[in-house]
Amino acid sequence: MLGRLVAAALLGHRARTILAVAGVAVSAALLLDMVMLSTGMSVSFRSLLLARGFQLRVAPKGTLPFDTEATIADATATIAALRESPDIDAVSPVLGGNIHVPGANGTATSAVALGLDPRYQGDYEILAGRDPGEGEIVANDALLAAIGRGVGDTLTIAGGYDPQLRRFAGVRRVTIAGRARFLYLSRGQRAAAMPTASLQALGGASRRDRASLMMIRARPGADVETVRAWIARRLPRVTAISTETALAQVEERLSYFRQLAFILGSVSLVVGVLLVGTLVTVSVNERIGEFAVLRAIGVAKRTITAQIMIEGATLMLVGSLLGLLLGLVTARYLNAILSSFPGLPQAIDFFLFQPRSAWTALGLLAIAGVLAGAWPAWRGASLPVARTLREEAA
Amino acid sequence: MSEPLLRLEHVERRYHMGGEDVRAVRGVSLSIDAGEHLAIVGPSGCGKSTLLNLLGAIDRPDAGRVLLDGRDVSALSDREATELRLRRIGFVFQRFHLLAALSARENVELPMSEAGLGKRERAERARELLSYVGLAGRERHRPPQLSGGEQQRVAIARALANRPALVLADEPTGELDARTGAEVAALFQRLNDDGTTLVIVTHDEELAAAAKRVVHMRDGLVVRDERGVAPAAAARGR
Amino acid sequence: MWNPHRIRFISDGTMRLTILVPLALAAVAPLAAARAQQPRTIAIDARLAADARLHVGDVVVLAAQPGEAGDTVRIAAITRPNADPSEIAHQEYRVRVHLDQLQSLTAYGDRVHRFAVQSRGGATTGSAVAAIDAAAFGFLAHRSRDVAVETSATFAVVSRFHRAIGVITVVASAIFLLCILLLKVDERRKDVAALRLSGISRATVVKSIVIEASMVALFGTLFGAALGWLATAIVNAHYQGVYRTPLRFALITPRTITFALVLSVVLGVAAGALAALRLARAHPLALLGRR
Repeated sequence: MLGRLVAAALLGHRARTILAVAGVAVSAALLLDMVMLSTGMSVSFRSLLLARGFQLRVAPKGTLPFDTEATIADATATIAALRESPDIDAVSPVLGGNIHVPGANGTATSAVALGLDPRYQGDYEILAGRDPGEGEIVANDALLAAIGRGVGDTLTIAGGYDPQLRRFAGVRRVTIAGRARFLYLSRGQRAAAMPTASLQALGGASRRDRASLMMIRARPGADVETVRAWIARRLPRVTAISTETALAQVEERLSYFRQLAFILGSVSLVVGVLLVGTLVTVSVNERIGEFAVLRAIGVAKRTITAQIMIEGATLMLVGSLLGLLLGLVTARYLNAILSSFPGLPQAIDFFLFQPRSAWTALGLLAIAGVLAGAWPAWRGASLPVARTLREEAA
Repeated sequence: MSEPLLRLEHVERRYHMGGEDVRAVRGVSLSIDAGEHLAIVGPSGCGKSTLLNLLGAIDRPDAGRVLLDGRDVSALSDREATELRLRRIGFVFQRFHLLAALSARENVELPMSEAGLGKRERAERARELLSYVGLAGRERHRPPQLSGGEQQRVAIARALANRPALVLADEPTGELDARTGAEVAALFQRLNDDGTTLVIVTHDEELAAAAKRVVHMRDGLVVRDERGVAPAAAARGR
Repeated sequence: MWNPHRIRFISDGTMRLTILVPLALAAVAPLAAARAQQPRTIAIDARLAADARLHVGDVVVLAAQPGEAGDTVRIAAITRPNADPSEIAHQEYRVRVHLDQLQSLTAYGDRVHRFAVQSRGGATTGSAVAAIDAAAFGFLAHRSRDVAVETSATFAVVSRFHRAIGVITVVASAIFLLCILLLKVDERRKDVAALRLSGISRATVVKSIVIEASMVALFGTLFGAALGWLATAIVNAHYQGVYRTPLRFALITPRTITFALVLSVVLGVAAGALAALRLARAHPLALLGRR
C-alpha cells in the first residue's frame, strides 16, 4: 500500500517528477565525475608507474625523470654500483633522445627514441612482433603510420643532429622488430625504442655511456624506502625518486583539478539535496490536509514519514542511477579533453571509474537527499490533526 | 448499570484565534452507550466539530476527561491515540477526503493495511464493505470517477474497515444534494440498525431526525440532550 | 625550455637554495662589461625574495655548484612573476643575471639558447624569419605568436575542459531553475482559482504568473551574480596565493552576467508560461479540489 501511495504521489505530478529526476541525475553525474577526477589521476598515475613493477626512478641529481635534457654520466659504473645492493632486483637504464627517419626530397620524420635494455624495460608493451635486438627497433603506431612502414621492414635512422653543422652524429640501417605501445608518451607522439648501445652510438660522443633515467625494481619483500636511502648514500650524483614522491609531485602540479573536483562535487551535492529538499517540502505543504486525514483515520506518523521519505529516496535513487550513466558518458568526454594535455602519458586517465568511490558518491547523494526530505516529512506527519483539518476545511 | 462506551467529564477546549482565547467547548459532560445513534446539532461555531474531534481522540481537552471503554483517551500518547483511532473509531468527513490516486477498494483497504491485515483478507473485506454500502462492481473506480454520494459511501466503507466500536461523522451530507444526502442518511440508519454506534455532527435536518438522541450545543455548551425525539422536533430544536 | 644547469645561491653564508635559472630570461648585457670593484647586480623574483627574506641592496653569492667560490652580487631589483598561465605550475625561483656572468658561472662559453629579435613590424616579420632561416647557418626563427600557441597548449586544454564543465553546470542549473519555478507557480493554484472565480480572464492570470516567474528569475540571477562575484574574489585570492602569481583564475564579465540573466529570464518565462497555462486551463473548482 505504501508503494502505491508513493507511486501515486510521484506519478500525480509527472512534469515535476521528471524535472526532479533530471536535476538529480545531472547533479549525480557531476558529482560522480568529480569523484572520478579527484581520485582518477593519482590511481591511474600510480598504476602506470607500477605497471612494470619498477618502484624507483633514478634521475640526474635535482631533476625529475625526463624533465630536463640532463643525463647520468658513467651509466655502466652507475648500474654496477646499483647492482651491489642485495635489495635491488633489476635495473633498467633508459636513454632519451631523438631520431630522424630520412624521407624523400630531403625531408625527415623525427621521433622520440628510447634506448633501453629490452630484458628489463618498463617503457613499452609489445603489440606485435618482438623486443628489439642489435640492429633492430620497435616503433609505435604513430611513427609507423608517419613513415609508412610495418613490422619486418628495414629503414635508415639518424641521430645526434647538430644544427650548427646540419649533420647527424650517427646513421644506420635497422629492422622494425615489433609494434609497441609506449606507456609514458603522450597520444600521437611518434616513438621508437632500441637497445641502449644503439641509441648511444647514434648520439655520438655526447651520448656515450649516458642514461637519462634508471628504473629500479626492488627485490620482493625489500623496503623501497630503504633502497631509496641506500641509493642516495651510495650515489650522491643522482636522485632516486620513489613512486610516492613522484605521485606527490604530480599531484602538487595538478592540485588545481583536485580542488576543482572538490568544489564542484560539493556544489552538485548541495544542489541535489536542495532540489529534493525543496520538492519534498512543497509536496508536503500541498498535502498537509491529506496527511491530517490519514492521521485522523489512524495512520501512524511513521507510516506517513516513511511514505514521504520513500518519495524523496525514489527521486534520488532513479536520478542517481541515471546520473551514473550520464556521469560515465560525460567522464569519457571530459577525459578525452584532458588527455590532450601536452606531454601527458597516454595511459593516464583523469577520470577513472572505481566502483567503490562511485557507489560512495552516489550513496552519499542518496543519503543526503533522503535526509533532506526527513525534516519536511516529519513536520508533515507531526502537524496537529484537529487544527489542520479545521484550517484545510476553511 | 454497565459502563458507557464513551464518557466526557467536564471537558474544556480552548483555542487561541486572532489574538483572542476562544472557549470552543466549555465543561461538557456526556455519556454515549454502545449502539446509540446520536446527532450533535447547533449553529456554526458552537463547538460541535471540536467536540467530535475530542470524542475521536484527534484532539485533547484542556481540562476534563474523555473515556472510551473506561480508558482515559486524553492521557494516551500520540502513538496510542493513533492506534485507538485505527482500531476502535471510524471517521467520516464532510468532504469525503479519499485519496484521489487510489481506487475505491484501495481507499477502503488503507486502514486495514495500516492495521497489518493480509493482502487477501483486506481485499475480501473491502469488497464486502463496498457491497454493503451499495458500490459492488465499482471497486476499481477512483474517487474522481465517482459521484459525491458514491464517494461518501466509499468513505463510510473506509470508516468501517477495522470494525470500529464507534463511527464519528462530521457533516457527512454537507457536500451532497438532498436526494443523495437522504441515501447516505439511510445508510447510516442501516449501520446503526446493524449495531454500530454512531455520533454525527450535522446541520442536516433529515439526518438529525433519524438519530435516536440529539444533543444541542450553543457557545460550547450542551444546552439540551433529547432522547427518542421525533425527527421534526429535532430539526426544529436547532 | 629550462636549462639543466643549477646554480648554488648562497646568502649570508647560511641560506642555501638550489635554483634553476632560465638562460633566456637573463638580461642581455655587453659581453665586455667592465667588472668594477662594485659587485654586479642581479634581479630576483618576489617569491625568492619572500622565502629567502632578501631585499634590494642585499649582497649574496651566486655559484653553479655547491662548494664553488661563485660571484658576489648585489640584488638590484625584485621582480613580479608574469601573469602567464603556462608558468603557474612551475614553482622554481627566477633570477635575472647579466648574460656574460651566467655564461662564466656555468662554464657555458659564448653560447645562448635563443635570441629575441624585434622586427620592424607587420609584413617585415615574415621576411625577417625567412632571411634568418636562409642566411644564418644553424638557426631557426620562430614567430612569437607560434611560440605562444605552443606554450599555451596546456592552458587551451584547461580552457576547453572549463567550457565543458560550464555546459554541464548550466544544464544542471537550468533544470533546477525550471523545477523551482514550476513548483512556485504550482503553489499558486488556490490564488489562481480565486482570481478565475472572481472573473479575472485566463490571459491576465497567465500574464501575471509569467511576470512573477520572470521577476523571481531576474532577482535570483542578480543575487547569484553577486554571489558569483564573491566566489570569483575568493577563488582568485586562493589560487593567486597558492601559485604566487598575479594571474586571475576566474573572471566575472558583463558577458557572463548577461548570459546568466538572459538564460534565467528565458527559463523563467518558459516555466512560468508552461505552469500558468496548465493552471489557467484547469477549472477553478478543480484547482480548489472541489471537482
